[in-house]
Amino acid sequence: MLLVLSEEHNEHLGSFLVRIVGESGRIAVQFLKKGSNPKIYEGAARKLNVWSGSVQHGLEGLMYLLTESCKLTISEEDFQDSVLVLGFSEELTELLLQLYLENRKEIRQILSKPAPSLPHYHSLEWRLDVQLSSRPLRHQLKPTVTLKLHLEDGAGRSARVLQTDPATLQHLIDELERALAELKSSHCRRILRNIQ
Amino acid sequence: MDRFRFCGDLDCPDWVLAEMSTLARMSSVKMKLLCVQVIKDLLDEGIDYDKVSKLTSDAKFESGDIKASIAVLSFILSSAAKHDVDSDSLSSELQQLGLPKEHTTGLCKSYEDKHSALQEKLREISLRLGRLEAVNWRVDYTLSSSELKQVNEPTVQLKLQAQDPETDSTQTTVVTITADKFRVLLTELKQAQTMMNALQ
Repeated sequence: MLLVLSEEHNEHLGSFLVRIVGESGRIAVQFLKKGSNPKIYEGAARKLNVWSGSVQHGLEGLMYLLTESCKLTISEEDFQDSVLVLGFSEELTELLLQLYLENRKEIRQILSKPAPSLPHYHSLEWRLDVQLSSRPLRHQLKPTVTLKLHLEDGAGRSARVLQTDPATLQHLIDELERALAELKSSHCRRILRNIQ
Repeated sequence: MDRFRFCGDLDCPDWVLAEMSTLARMSSVKMKLLCVQVIKDLLDEGIDYDKVSKLTSDAKFESGDIKASIAVLSFILSSAAKHDVDSDSLSSELQQLGLPKEHTTGLCKSYEDKHSALQEKLREISLRLGRLEAVNWRVDYTLSSSELKQVNEPTVQLKLQAQDPETDSTQTTVVTITADKFRVLLTELKQAQTMMNALQ
């Protein structure tokens, strides 16, 4: 037997669902940024008078919808067509679309992080010293550059301390500039053009 | 003239140039007060974010604008201190970048007031490896041991607490030194001290 709701019922239900989706959307994006918080499920479940499991499933479903859409960077039309299948009202679909478009960039940034990576450059501290004297030998004049290379990888920060004389430092700079210059070579340019 | 002294005789970064117009949106009085807050932050005295939002509310700054103005002021003040730029040169360079005269005057006055304090702070945070944090000592007199019945020897125990160069955590080292070895150590260190004093 089909339930026939009056116009009024439809409106109320529709606006109620719209409000929930707005709020749920915000919560889903928060969860994607910072991880899920089970207390929210309990709180929401109490307010809506449903089982907390359905709240959890609802939010997870919303998060999945957002991450999958962002993963493939699907266009507006494709997003709308995909959601259409679920049979939501136009207002709801529009809300979901807005949610997707507004948060797309940020979610893509979050998704790019867990990829395996080597420790990469965070910052560099340096110091220039001159050694004047040591226990075995007085009256020296030996310049040294001390470097503290701060690295970052998924797990956290680390640091490496290195020391070099100015000649080696100059050689290091020359090699790195040569590496940068490679980017401008015709071979590299050809490949980059093809990727883009 | 692209080279700026306050940028270490290099070109001024594009983002700094772009934020000049953001700073100009504030009144010069409020910008000077913002400089005071930024300097407090650079000196690790704590920045009062409530004051900052009150100062920027007239100009209707959004959170992005507030962050940008703090960042650009931080850069200008610390970079000028780093390269030991005098207040007048800084003033002329900032005006060249388009910062209005009243704003420039306010900024440079704050800079001049805190110039030495800023440089002192920058000196403090300069790279130092294995900073010695504490030294403790104790003199013992060994009477006897399992090897020899009458030892009768004084020794010094030194406890050194230093920062590990790579992890920045505190490491403790304890060494025990006999009287002779200690005498050598002390002489050598005194020689190093004489050399350091000659350089001060």
